[in-house]
Amino acid sequence: MAPTLGKRKREGADISKKTRKASSEGPESAALNAQEIFRRHFETQFKPLPVIHKSTKIVDVAPEDDLEEESDWGGISEGEEDRVQVVEHTDTHSRIAAMSKEELKAFMSSKPPKPTTEPSLLRGNPDTNEDDDPSEAANLKKDLALQRLLAESHLLEPSKNPTLSGNNRHKATDLRLQALGSKTSILKQEKMPMSHRRGIIAKQTEKEDKRRREARENGIILEKAKMKKSSEGKRDRGVGAPGVGKFSGGTLKLSKKDIFEIEGPKRSSSGRGGRGAGRGRGKRGR
Amino acid sequence: MAAPAPEFLRFTTHKSLTYRLVLSTLTGRPVHISQIRSSSPTNPGLAPHEISFLRLLDSITNGSVMQISYTGTTLTYIPGLITGSVSMGGSDMVKCVLPETCRRGVSWFLLLLCILAPFSKAPINVRFEGEGVITSATETGDVSVDTVRTAILPLYEAFGIMASKLELRVLQRSCAGTGGKGGGGVVELRFGSQVRLPKTLHMNRSPGRVKRIRGVAYSTGVSASNNARMIHAARGVLNPLVPDIHVASQYDQAPLVGDKSSSSGKKRTGVGFGLSLIAECSSEGVIYSADVPAPSQGGVTPEEVGKRCAYQLLEMVSQGGCITRVGAPTVLTLMAMGSEDVGRVRLGKDVVGSEDIIRLGRDMKKFGASSWGLRDAEDDGSGDIIVSVKGAGVGNVGRKIA
Repeated sequence: MAPTLGKRKREGADISKKTRKASSEGPESAALNAQEIFRRHFETQFKPLPVIHKSTKIVDVAPEDDLEEESDWGGISEGEEDRVQVVEHTDTHSRIAAMSKEELKAFMSSKPPKPTTEPSLLRGNPDTNEDDDPSEAANLKKDLALQRLLAESHLLEPSKNPTLSGNNRHKATDLRLQALGSKTSILKQEKMPMSHRRGIIAKQTEKEDKRRREARENGIILEKAKMKKSSEGKRDRGVGAPGVGKFSGGTLKLSKKDIFEIEGPKRSSSGRGGRGAGRGRGKRGR
Repeated sequence: MAAPAPEFLRFTTHKSLTYRLVLSTLTGRPVHISQIRSSSPTNPGLAPHEISFLRLLDSITNGSVMQISYTGTTLTYIPGLITGSVSMGGSDMVKCVLPETCRRGVSWFLLLLCILAPFSKAPINVRFEGEGVITSATETGDVSVDTVRTAILPLYEAFGIMASKLELRVLQRSCAGTGGKGGGGVVELRFGSQVRLPKTLHMNRSPGRVKRIRGVAYSTGVSASNNARMIHAARGVLNPLVPDIHVASQYDQAPLVGDKSSSSGKKRTGVGFGLSLIAECSSEGVIYSADVPAPSQGGVTPEEVGKRCAYQLLEMVSQGGCITRVGAPTVLTLMAMGSEDVGRVRLGKDVVGSEDIIRLGRDMKKFGASSWGLRDAEDDGSGDIIVSVKGAGVGNVGRKIA
């Protein structure tokens, strides 16, 4: 215990000394501190930076002096002195300092964390889409409006007031939702008395029948009637239910087909008989 | 038709007792375990946490029968169906109250429960509470709940179990109390994804390189600055190796539990801190984890804990393979119970050679699963072993009806 204690003490002292040093003499310390980060920014000031820090403007030192002071700086070759020297320093440690709020939330939530969350950088990259001007956005807006008008113009046609309001507005919303992938229409009424629903369905089928009958009588070929969809081939039987047959009234009913599927194609009876007999004997023996 | 008299599989000693019970429940074969700590003069028989596990097993299954001998050294268990949490008016949460004498972390229960949960009939929702719930890692070798959530639960995704339906909610954190006993935490597990047959796994490729390190530092009832100190020390070790390290820090109050001796009738227990780290690899689904708690008697600085945890993580990485020792029993059991297909998983030599895994393999053979095939991974000089496991096609117990 004693040696570790001693070591720890020394380490702590070292750290405190370092921090004090950093706060007082800044540029001399090898550790990364605020002063040096500013210095690095200053060095890169020759390159037009997208984000200009105010602090770098204040510092006004000749760049040559600055570079000479830098301990880890490799030195400038004589020929290049008239050209602009570009130094790029990327420090991963300072870039990814802490989890972003979203990432922290995702990681510390009660669900197991997703394996594909990408690390978000603390400092987002400077705006890359600075070049797009307001006219671009306006154009996009107009584009969208035009597309919508084209898609929904048929709604406006028969109505008296040619504006997207009232009933038309709801219809337009429904169209847009369906374009976005909505499965059901918002105009479809979900709950109504059974008699109403029956009536509506009966009316629909009657209309459709009438249309088809008249078309047939007039010799018009219509599209194929949509077959009534029978239930899917594999229905979900639930976890606990038997995998075969129909369970009703406490009995599992197996159709002929089920039995045939279980048994498989019939083989010669002699082989099966032999095996069955063998099993029987074994039981008796025990 | 009368059921034939069950043939008991006979085992001895308390070692991997619970894994045997889990295998018994999954395969439906009754077990008879004798000589449970029979040589111990002071604490013979089943330990408190084992009794708690039996109670939990009883509450999530239907029709299981367990008999414990007078001394507790012999246990007979006839498994029933895993029904999960059947709603009995009000909440569908099964409550599992752990006694104060429990020395194992709640992760010990969670790992076993999660193996059973995919085969349940209904979703399994269990709430662990009481004076024995330790959410942190423990000195008895259990990992923390954070590791279970971030390193073990993601493994289930590969078996066709939706990770989005799994939830492990820590409502109250707690470290091990005085003498490593008791805590006072509250943990909820919601396992909402049940399958007929879990898919098998093919993880025979190289684990790749560690691309990021995540973790949780937790302090319960002690200064929150311990978190920062642990994280600082761990990063000191790991920063030169991986640039992408994030460790979240979590500070909570110590839980209040009832205490008759004090004047207010309540006292705070489960004070402590610890660090859980996971390393995600470039190969998908490979997660190494490490867990170090501060011992319950104290005397260890947060720096020491952080450093030890970082070194433990490095040790786990050096062991290689795609699954760590903590996750290997889960993965191997699910593969063996899964579809009748040969799955492969790449494990480090030290992981395969550990006592637990070898005993698990032997037990599985005894329970009727096929034996494992082992061969060296040839593609590199890692010395890993590829374990081939053929599924027994046991799958969901609900199948036993048909």
